[in-house]
Amino acid sequence: MSEFNPHSLDEDEFLEEVHSVDFWFHAVDGYLRDRTYGRIEGASHPDLDDTDRDNLITTLCNYCIGETAALEASSGLISIAPNRHSKIFLATQVVDEARHLEVFLRRLRDLGVEDPESEISVRANPHLVAFKDRLMELVAGHDWDAAVFAQNVVLETMEYTAFRAHMSTADPATAEVLDGVVKDERRHLGFGENDLGRRLMAMPEKRQRLAEIRRELDNLVLATFEEVQDSLGADRSRRVDLGSEYLDAIERLGLT
Amino acid sequence: MPDSDEPGMIANRIEKVRAKREAGSERRHFELDDRGFNEVPKKWRKFYRHWEGDGDTLGPNEIICPVCKVVIRSVKELRPGDRLYCMPCMSRLLVVEADDGTLTTEVVY
Amino acid sequence: MADFLSQYSIQRWLEMCPQGYLEDTVYGHSPELKEPDIVVDNELLREESIRTTVQLVVGERCALAASSGLVNAAPDFPSKRFLATQTLDEARHVEICTRRLFDLGVKEEDLESTIDDFVNPNLVKFAEVLLEKVSDGDFIAGVVGQNIVLEGMAFSVFEMLEAVSKQGNPKFAETLSGTIADERRHVGFGENRIGSLIREHPERKADVEKMQAEMTYHMLATFSDSFRGNRAAVEETRAIAVAEGAEADTAEWHGTDLASASPEDMEAVLADTVLGEFKTRLNRIGLEYQSPPVPA
Repeated sequence: MSEFNPHSLDEDEFLEEVHSVDFWFHAVDGYLRDRTYGRIEGASHPDLDDTDRDNLITTLCNYCIGETAALEASSGLISIAPNRHSKIFLATQVVDEARHLEVFLRRLRDLGVEDPESEISVRANPHLVAFKDRLMELVAGHDWDAAVFAQNVVLETMEYTAFRAHMSTADPATAEVLDGVVKDERRHLGFGENDLGRRLMAMPEKRQRLAEIRRELDNLVLATFEEVQDSLGADRSRRVDLGSEYLDAIERLGLT
Repeated sequence: MPDSDEPGMIANRIEKVRAKREAGSERRHFELDDRGFNEVPKKWRKFYRHWEGDGDTLGPNEIICPVCKVVIRSVKELRPGDRLYCMPCMSRLLVVEADDGTLTTEVVY
Repeated sequence: MADFLSQYSIQRWLEMCPQGYLEDTVYGHSPELKEPDIVVDNELLREESIRTTVQLVVGERCALAASSGLVNAAPDFPSKRFLATQTLDEARHVEICTRRLFDLGVKEEDLESTIDDFVNPNLVKFAEVLLEKVSDGDFIAGVVGQNIVLEGMAFSVFEMLEAVSKQGNPKFAETLSGTIADERRHVGFGENRIGSLIREHPERKADVEKMQAEMTYHMLATFSDSFRGNRAAVEETRAIAVAEGAEADTAEWHGTDLASASPEDMEAVLADTVLGEFKTRLNRIGLEYQSPPVPA
């Protein structure tokens, strides 16, 4: 029998452990210690051709918009978080999101983009910008349930699916960066589903409103996802289905 | 990549149930080894691994987290009613028997 | 500005902090250390330790709310990025101070009521002045209030507590030491980033100085309550702690022996040190320190 067995923890001990900064420190240490700005130190990779490079720049610019939305939303949610576990977890998410933005901006510069901020505004996907605006409205309105749903279920599931799909076709340097990001996203989407799941169990009357928010956001998310895949030049017949994981989460939460 | 999803998972579930039946009522115990999962603190790492895609199989002490798709490992052969924790996505799970007799998990919020 | 802000990358923060001075710690201290038995077993010492730690939790909760609230008000990505690291630092401080309350025997279900019972109301007012600026999205006032005034105060308080605890309570001293290392970054960012913004927006000086005077007033009132207003407990607990080895029998800090100083002398050396730091730092960023009315 192992001295440490996570499955033997009391529920309170488990929640205390996984929502702590200490857990986060030791978790990210496992996959970020040998990386600099998300890249494996010393690794060199061939340059991309012009078309691939341009497509990748568009994709990364839109990743930056998604990560900026997540950075601003997660930091804005801390003051309205209903308990200390959520506040502490969101603080770890804030630094994760800032790191994602940092590594994507760094990758853009590696690709020769001198002024990423201007490039992002030129290449911004309007559906994603509309999603970000709506998310920030929910945060500004101190609407915890809707904002956590929009950020940690909708946005994070989309990113988790999109990044993993992209990793399988990306150039090695971009794949290295995405690898660390995907590992962070697992925590974020898990937090969202579990926090909302607990609250919906206690307050099932909230389901109807969240289902309405979901219908409102679905179009923006699906359109963004399609367009990101277009920018990556993915063959339509071989595209990853965003629906499967997203709809699974929606079904588990009873928001269909 | 180790993060690929669940093709073949049903076959694995069936294999698991078969193994469970063959084992009778005696629960087997397992010595876990570190499988290179580096997303949780060191002391918890051997309780998780990545699903390796086609060709991978689940052991009788393993099950896939429905939320984040990581393979959760136990020191015991799994049975319906077991409680498991997925630390990578912070989910609390209950092992249940599906309609087809295979083992699966439900998220306990 | 770009050069100075580039040193505040997440990458550098990861290398300095979790992979640097906090490596191999658990909740901010070496895993084998624990609160000394006398602190947990002696009711008076335990209660005074809880009282002190509650003020730290409240101050750190304010800093967490302020730093996270300022991310959206920050005018550029490098500042947002720094504030993201500060948000996590402050969350860690909340966590380790809360954890100390549990180590001192406070039950999880009694956490909030314990904080309500022990918090100094002047410290709450101090926090409210700052959080009002944050809630208004006032980046300049928010950063001065948070990274110069609040962090400047916390820096000296933590140093003083560390000096007192180093010999008798290494667990608490280690926890404070890591926190002080974090605070050093925070005050550094505050000075460097706001200095340039104050030069660009001199019209903001009066309002920011007014906030500083208000916060200073509530801070001095907090110090007064904690030392003079709590004289009997301060003297008794210190005598027990020194006798039992939970505090050093001499603890020199800024020219004062904290182990033998009267509560008035301790309050004076703390206030003098913090105000001296305020004046120096505010002066460097182009603000003039404003003396508050002396609390009754």
